[in-house]
Amino acid sequence: MPRVTKKTLSFVMVCIMLVTTLMACSNQNPASNTATPSNPPESSAAPPATKEPEKPAYKELTVYSALPDTEIPTYFNAFEKDTGIKINYVRLSAGEMLARISAEKANPLASVMHGGSSDTYIAAAKEGLLEPYQSSELANIPEQYKDPEKIWNPFYVGAISFACNKDWFTKNSLEYPKSWQDLLKPEFKGQISMAHPSTSGTSYTVLATIIQLMGEEKAWEYLAALNKNVRQYTKAGAAPPMEVGLGEAAIAITFSHDGLKPAMEGYPIELSFPSEGTGFEVGAVALIKGGNEKEQENARLFIDWTLSKRAQELFIDSKSNRVPLNSTAKATDGLIKIEDLKIIDYDAVWAGQNKKDLVAKFNEKIDAANNLKQ
Amino acid sequence: MGAKGQLVSRRKLSAKNSMKDFKMLLHQPLLLLTIIAVFVLLFIFIMLPIFNVFKLSFTNAEGGFTTQKFIEIIQNKGYGQTFLNSMKLGLIVALVSTFIGYVFAFALTRTEMPGKGFFRAIATLPIISPPFILSLSIIFLFGRQGLITKTLFGIDTFDVYGIHSLIVVQSISFFPVAFLTLTGILESIDTSVEDAAYNMGASRGHIFRTITMPLSAPGIASALLLVFIQSLEDFSNPAVIAGGFSTLAVETYRIITGMYDLQGGSLLAIILLLPTVCAFLLQKYWLKGKSFVTVTGKPSQKGRKLHEKHIMWPLFAFCTVISGIIILFYGTVLIGSFIKTWGINYTFTLEHFEYVISLGWDALKNSITLATISAPIGGILGMIIAFLTVRKNFFGKKVMEISSMLTFAIPGTVLGIGYVCTFNQKPLLLTGTALILVAAFTFRNMPVALEAGTSTLLQIDRSIEEASTISGADNGVTFRRITLPLLKQAFFSGMVYSFVRAMTAVSAVIFLTSPKWTLATTKVFSLFEASKYSAAACYVMIMIVIILTAIVLINFLVQTLLAPRTKVYK
Repeated sequence: MPRVTKKTLSFVMVCIMLVTTLMACSNQNPASNTATPSNPPESSAAPPATKEPEKPAYKELTVYSALPDTEIPTYFNAFEKDTGIKINYVRLSAGEMLARISAEKANPLASVMHGGSSDTYIAAAKEGLLEPYQSSELANIPEQYKDPEKIWNPFYVGAISFACNKDWFTKNSLEYPKSWQDLLKPEFKGQISMAHPSTSGTSYTVLATIIQLMGEEKAWEYLAALNKNVRQYTKAGAAPPMEVGLGEAAIAITFSHDGLKPAMEGYPIELSFPSEGTGFEVGAVALIKGGNEKEQENARLFIDWTLSKRAQELFIDSKSNRVPLNSTAKATDGLIKIEDLKIIDYDAVWAGQNKKDLVAKFNEKIDAANNLKQ
Repeated sequence: MGAKGQLVSRRKLSAKNSMKDFKMLLHQPLLLLTIIAVFVLLFIFIMLPIFNVFKLSFTNAEGGFTTQKFIEIIQNKGYGQTFLNSMKLGLIVALVSTFIGYVFAFALTRTEMPGKGFFRAIATLPIISPPFILSLSIIFLFGRQGLITKTLFGIDTFDVYGIHSLIVVQSISFFPVAFLTLTGILESIDTSVEDAAYNMGASRGHIFRTITMPLSAPGIASALLLVFIQSLEDFSNPAVIAGGFSTLAVETYRIITGMYDLQGGSLLAIILLLPTVCAFLLQKYWLKGKSFVTVTGKPSQKGRKLHEKHIMWPLFAFCTVISGIIILFYGTVLIGSFIKTWGINYTFTLEHFEYVISLGWDALKNSITLATISAPIGGILGMIIAFLTVRKNFFGKKVMEISSMLTFAIPGTVLGIGYVCTFNQKPLLLTGTALILVAAFTFRNMPVALEAGTSTLLQIDRSIEEASTISGADNGVTFRRITLPLLKQAFFSGMVYSFVRAMTAVSAVIFLTSPKWTLATTKVFSLFEASKYSAAACYVMIMIVIILTAIVLINFLVQTLLAPRTKVYK
C-alpha cells in the first residue's frame, strides 16, 4: 500500500500544478498591480518587478502612450527627473489604446491616455471613458486646437504632407507633387501609398481634409481619380512611409512627423506640402476615468508638464519632428512651422463625429470599385 | 445498410458503456479529480473569456440583447468576400504546409538520406517566425527594389503584395508545426509492419500508399487542422504583405482599433470560430472508427530504412529546395542585422547590435520567463487532455475536446479583449499581472500539444496500458510511466511550440501586457515601426539564438525525464 501511495504522488503533483494556476487567481491580491507572487521558482528570475504598493508620497504613474517607443523615454525620463515620479507605461497604437481602455473600464489600469490624434479622444469621450481635465498651460495654446467639450488637452500638431522618395524622383526626373491636383498626374500611376481610412487616424484625417477642402461631392470625384494612382490602401497605418522608404511607392500621404521617421534612419525621403491647403492632426493627452486613486494628482501634474514649454521643447531632443503647440516653446530647426503652412480650417470634432459614415462611403465608393477593378 | 446497423448497435453499446464508465470513474477518485480540475481550468480560461466575447457581440448600448450588428455584418458583401478570402488562404496554406511537412518528416524518419541533422534543424527554424520579419524579408527580396527582382533580374514592377506572397510566407512559417506533428506520428508507427510488407515483395510505393500513408492519417488531419487555424488567425503577416487582399483576422483588428467598434470586431472573431469548429468536427469525423494502432508493445525489429536511390534523391532534392528558400529568407534577416541601412547602404556594421544591447534585456527576460512557465504547463495539460479524451469515457468529453481548441483559433486581439473583460474584476482580478499572460499563453498554445498527443495516442494499443493496470499500477502511475514516455515526441513538439509562440506572440498580448511586463515582440514591433529594420533584425537574431537554445534544452529534458526505463522492462 505505501508503495502505491508513493507512486501516486507523482500524479498528484501534476494535478497540483494544474490547480495552482487556478488557486492563484483566487489568492490574487487585488490591490497590487504588479507582478504576481505565484510560481516562485521561475518568477524569481524575473526583473525587479515587485514594488511595495504603498508609500507615503506616491511616486508612480501609469500611462498608455501612442507615441513611438523611440521617443517615449526622452519625455518620461525627463518627467521623472523633474518631479521624481516614475512613469510606468505601455506603448499601444491610438486605436489599441482606446479598445484597451474601453475593455478595462470596470477597473482601469492606467491613469493617463497620451498621444495619438484627437479623433480617438473624441471617441473615448463619447464612450464616457475620460475624466475631463483642462490644464492651466492651455493658456499658451492657440484656441483653434482646443477641445470645445473641455475634456482632453492638445499638445502637438502634425500636418498632412506628401513624403516623397528622393531617388525615385531623381531617377525619373520629376518634381515633387506640390498640390492635391498634382497627385493625379499620370506619371504617378501605382506610386502613391496611403493607409485605409478605417485603419489609421492618419488616413482618416486625409479623407476628412479632402472633404473639408473640396466639399463632399467634389471630394469623392477627386478620390476616385486619385484611386487610379494609389498602389494600395495599406492595412497598417505605419506602412505608407515605410513603403516609400523602401522604394515600393514614390509618394506617401502621411503626417510630417511619421513621413520623416524613415529619413532619420537614412532612407531617402523628403516632404512636400499641398498648396491648396492641408489638414492636420492634433495630438492629445487626457485623464482616464476611474484610474488609480493614488495616481490622480501625479496624472494632472503630468498633463500640465506635457503642455509646458520645457516638455514641448523635448520634441527637439527626441528628434520627433512634432510641432509643439505651446506658443512659447521652440520647435526643431528646419521643421516647417505650422504658421508657414497653408492650413485649412480643419474641424476635428466634425471629423470625429462623422467617421463612421465617411469611412462607410469610402468603402462603398472607392474601395469596392477598387476590388471590382482587380 | 450494414454501416447503419453497426451504428445503431454501437450507440446502444455506448449508452450501456457510459453508465459503466461513470461507475468506473467513481472508483478512481484521482481520475475524477483530474477531469474536474481540467474542466474548471477550461471553464475559467477558455469558456468564460469566449462567452464574454459573445456577450460583447450581442449586447446593445443599453445592455440588452441584440442581433442587429450580427445581421449587419452578415449582410455586408465586403465581409463575405473577406470570409471567403480567409478560407481560401487557410486551405491553400494548410495543404501546402502539410505536404512539405510530410515530405520532410517522411524523408527524415524513413530514409537513409544524408544531411538529416541539417534538414531537421532547418525545418524547425521557421517555427521561430517573429512577427513582421519574414514579410519584411520578402519585400527586400522581391519588392520593386528587391535584391532578386531588381538587382538580379532588373524587374522593378513585380508586385510583392498579395495572396501569393502571403501563401509563401505563411507556408514557411507554419509548415514546421506540420513537420513536428507528422514526425511524431511517423516515428511512432512501428516499422515492422512496413518491413513485413517489403519482405513479402510489396513495392515501396505500394507500402507507402497502403500502410504508411493511411497509418499517418491522424497526423495529417492534425497538421491540416493546426495550419488551417493558424493561417486564419494570423495577423502580422497579412497586415504587412497582403496588399488589397483582406483577411478576417486583420479586418477584426481594423474594426476594433480603426473604427473603435469593439462589438463589430468581436462578432467577426466569433464568425472566425465557425470554420475552425467545423474543421475540427470534420477531422474527428474523418478519423472516427478507424484504427491506427501499430504500437502494441510486442517486440519489433528495426529493419533497414529506405535507401533506394530513385526514392531517396528526389526527396533529398525536394528538401534541399525548401531548405534553400528558408535559408534565403532567414539569411536576408541575418545579413540585414549586420548592415548599415537595410535596402540602402550595405556597409558591414555592428552598431545595431550595440544599439539593441543598449535597450536592455528586461523585455527579453520577461518573455523568456513567461514562456518558460507557460510551456511545460501547456505541454502537460495538453497531454492530460489528450489522454483523457482518447482513453477515457466520461460525460462532457466532446465539450472538453472542442473547447480546448477554441483559444487557439480566435484572433489574438479578441482573445485579449475576452481576457480583459473576464479577468478585470474580482474575484478573478488578474489584469496587470504576469499571471494573465501566463494563462493566455498556456491556453492559447496548448492545442498543439493536445493535437500531437491525441494523434500519437491513437496509434498506441490500449493493451499496453491495460497490462500496466492489470499488473497493479493505478491510473497515475500508468500515465506517468507508460503513456507519457510513449508520448515523448508529442510532448516535445507541444512544449517547443508553446515556448516559441509565447516568445513571439503579438496580437494576443496587446491588451494584456502591463508596464512591468513588456515583452520582446513589443520591442521588435517598436523598432519596426521606427523604420529601424536592421535593429529589429538584430533583436530577432538574438531571439532566435535564445529560442534555439531553449529547444535544445527542452529536448534534453524531455529525453532524459521521459526515457523508458529499459532495465525494468527487460
